[in-house]
Amino acid sequence: MRRPRFSLVAVLAAGALLTSACAEETPGGGGGGGGQTEPDDLLAEIQSRGTLRVATDPQYPPQSSLNDETGEWEGFDIDVATEIANRMGVEIEFITPGWEQIIAGSWQDRWDVSVGSMTVTPERDEVLHFATPYYYTPAAIAVREEDAATLTDVATDFDGATIGLCGGCTYEFYLDKTLDIPGEEIEFVIDDAEVRTYNTDVPAVKDLEVGRLDAAISSLTVLRGAQEEGSPIEIVGNVFHEPLSVAVDRSAALDPTRFVEELDRIVQEMHADGTLIALSEKWFGEDLSTKS
Amino acid sequence: MPDGPVVRIKGLHKSFGPLEVLKGIDLEIEPGEVVVIFGRSGSGKSTLLRCVNWLEEPSAGVVEVDGIRLEPGQRTRSRREHIREVRMRCGMVFQEFNLFPHLTALENVMEGPVTVRGLERTTSRRLAVELLGRVGLADKADEHPIRLSGGQKQRVAIARALAMEPTIMLFDEPTSALDPELIGEVLAVMKALATEMQMTMMVVTHEMGFAREVANRMLFLHEGEVVEEGPPSRILTEPQDARTRTFLAAVL
Amino acid sequence: MEVEKQIGGAGEIRPPGVPDEDLSRWQRAEVASLRVPFRVKLALVWLGVITVLGIMFVLVRFDLGWMAEHARFIFLGIPFTLLISVAAIILAVILAVLGSLARLSRNPIAFGVSGFYVSFFRGTPLIVQMFLIYAGLAQIGGNLRTMGYAWGELLILDSLLAGILALGLNYGAYMTEIFRAGIQSVAHGQAEAAQAIGMTYGQMMRRVILPQAVRVIIPPTGNEFIAMLKDSALVSFLGTVVSQMELFRRAQLVGIADFRPFEALILAAGMYWALTTVFTFFQQRLERRLSRGYVRAGSFQLGGGAAGHAG
Repeated sequence: MRRPRFSLVAVLAAGALLTSACAEETPGGGGGGGGQTEPDDLLAEIQSRGTLRVATDPQYPPQSSLNDETGEWEGFDIDVATEIANRMGVEIEFITPGWEQIIAGSWQDRWDVSVGSMTVTPERDEVLHFATPYYYTPAAIAVREEDAATLTDVATDFDGATIGLCGGCTYEFYLDKTLDIPGEEIEFVIDDAEVRTYNTDVPAVKDLEVGRLDAAISSLTVLRGAQEEGSPIEIVGNVFHEPLSVAVDRSAALDPTRFVEELDRIVQEMHADGTLIALSEKWFGEDLSTKS
Repeated sequence: MPDGPVVRIKGLHKSFGPLEVLKGIDLEIEPGEVVVIFGRSGSGKSTLLRCVNWLEEPSAGVVEVDGIRLEPGQRTRSRREHIREVRMRCGMVFQEFNLFPHLTALENVMEGPVTVRGLERTTSRRLAVELLGRVGLADKADEHPIRLSGGQKQRVAIARALAMEPTIMLFDEPTSALDPELIGEVLAVMKALATEMQMTMMVVTHEMGFAREVANRMLFLHEGEVVEEGPPSRILTEPQDARTRTFLAAVL
Repeated sequence: MEVEKQIGGAGEIRPPGVPDEDLSRWQRAEVASLRVPFRVKLALVWLGVITVLGIMFVLVRFDLGWMAEHARFIFLGIPFTLLISVAAIILAVILAVLGSLARLSRNPIAFGVSGFYVSFFRGTPLIVQMFLIYAGLAQIGGNLRTMGYAWGELLILDSLLAGILALGLNYGAYMTEIFRAGIQSVAHGQAEAAQAIGMTYGQMMRRVILPQAVRVIIPPTGNEFIAMLKDSALVSFLGTVVSQMELFRRAQLVGIADFRPFEALILAAGMYWALTTVFTFFQQRLERRLSRGYVRAGSFQLGGGAAGHAG
């Protein structure tokens, strides 16, 4: 009699389910082990847990990307996050949801903090707490090398052009003319651009290379990183400056107030003692951590 | 087992939607009797047979098998159990054999005793081997049905039904799907069942030769009613009813 | 002397003994071609296709060196692809068995729930289902927890588990129909014979119907598994972590890290192609083996896997 051969496969499946269940810690909200008092806020929970869970989208070199030789994440954001964890006296764990998940808030306590070069905007501020900015980048506009010579003025050359950028990022809001960064004055000089959005910045750069786009807007750091990898693009100007901060979910189950204050303190410390300058030079070749 | 009829049918009606196929049948079959039911296709003879082991549920009437009484009604758990008990007492042989193709002949015959009656495998195997021997297929025990001829398949089917040790055997046109040269071997087994085992049998068939030799009683069914009934010696030579005469003239 | 009329050509009459050069080029080629075995022609066609692909490859100017360096890392995603697919197909089969029996049942609850299940999971895109299970369920879980029900936590699944669950539910719906058709394909007489010897519904299913249905069901199930190998890539959109990354996620991240997304994707495509080819080969062997003993040698049989799967 023929029987489906599922027994071996059942073992494999059980293994898969077990490994995946163990791979990621269960979200916080519960207390530490039996006998201890329940942590009453997020900071205490992190400390008693002994691990800081950081969200990062590893599709954003040189801030966050995969080093396949070591099998580890690497980048400016990775280093900053690791340093923060060190100063809190805890271990670090990286979770890697998509960018839309991170900026949306309602993290369901899957992770504690985002160290992801996130720009502070009023809309995001409604769902996330932001700490002191840890660095500032210009958002820049790039074109193909061969097109660079014909351009004269950022304010006029790109009106009506086809421009690619990362969807849900500040660059999109910039072209929509809805971008609002507290403390920054933004000049919306590009009119009627045809906007093409991508999941992340890198596909936008690739489409620019191929000729589908007239231009691409992204963080200066990303565009420079592309050039280093041989991308035949030229950066023709900055369009605005953005302060970038770490963020914490407002809807976290435990009160995040003290945690945000602690993050604030650590980031300011890292500014003061030169750590951020050093990391910035390491990854960007210049100090972007000081507001210019 | 109570004395008295093995099967008692009273007022059996069966309709399929608007079409009434059985219009009130009364029938009693005594132990050891061989009853042959014949008639045109559409006369209701297969339906009558299938009402005995409740493969068809009558629209009205009572069917009593071996003392177990069934009437049409809700399929409650206890009724389902009664239906099963009735079916275990009836051994059915189908026109299309319906052997289980994924099992060997031996396994086919063993299936009832092992799964339904709950007998031990060794006991069941012994029983099955003996039954296959009785139908003349001991050497085909380990063959799958696909390798058997039609006549061989039907004989295995008979053995499979016998393995349940039924009180009555129901045959639904057992040779109609067979090539002519294979009919004889099946009829021979059926005759042996009647003469050697005194098995009570209800047979729907066109094989009048078999009826003449083996049947105690013949029933002519016409449009859902028993038109004529009697021993084969009378029915086949001096049918009383005109309809019986017409039918027999065409068949014989 | 008889003058033979030549067939073809201009239909003109030629005296016999006229050399072949007078036959048109096309006719000569046709005659010569008939002598070449099919296998050889097939090999030439393959050679042609590969050459064209090779030329395209060169024109795109992929960074082959980079590809060689990073191929191994991407390749190591295959065990995870397999793990996801195997776990999900098992879930799908279980759901399909339950679902198909429910679709055939007279019980209003079973019939109703299974109808809804099949309609929803066949009627919405797989990627949408994945996000619903990953983010939507988590939202419900989070709210439940806020309301005081601690077990709401269980609904907050990690990416891998959410992906497997979504794949299993999705494929289970399609396979419910496959299994139902398989069960119904078992001739009605089989059920009658089983009932006639007094089997219960459960015995009938277990001993007679399902073993026969399985033979019909296995080829399309094999096809579903091969489709699932490819759909497993969608799990990456839920953001799997380093320890769980399957083939596509690895290619995606490695490619973006070095600004070479296309090179990475070509590698991934090649590996998926190899995977599905291998499994298709085994699938065909299995199909041939299953029909042995049921089909007389030399008889006509249709290829297996009639049920299609969208996307």
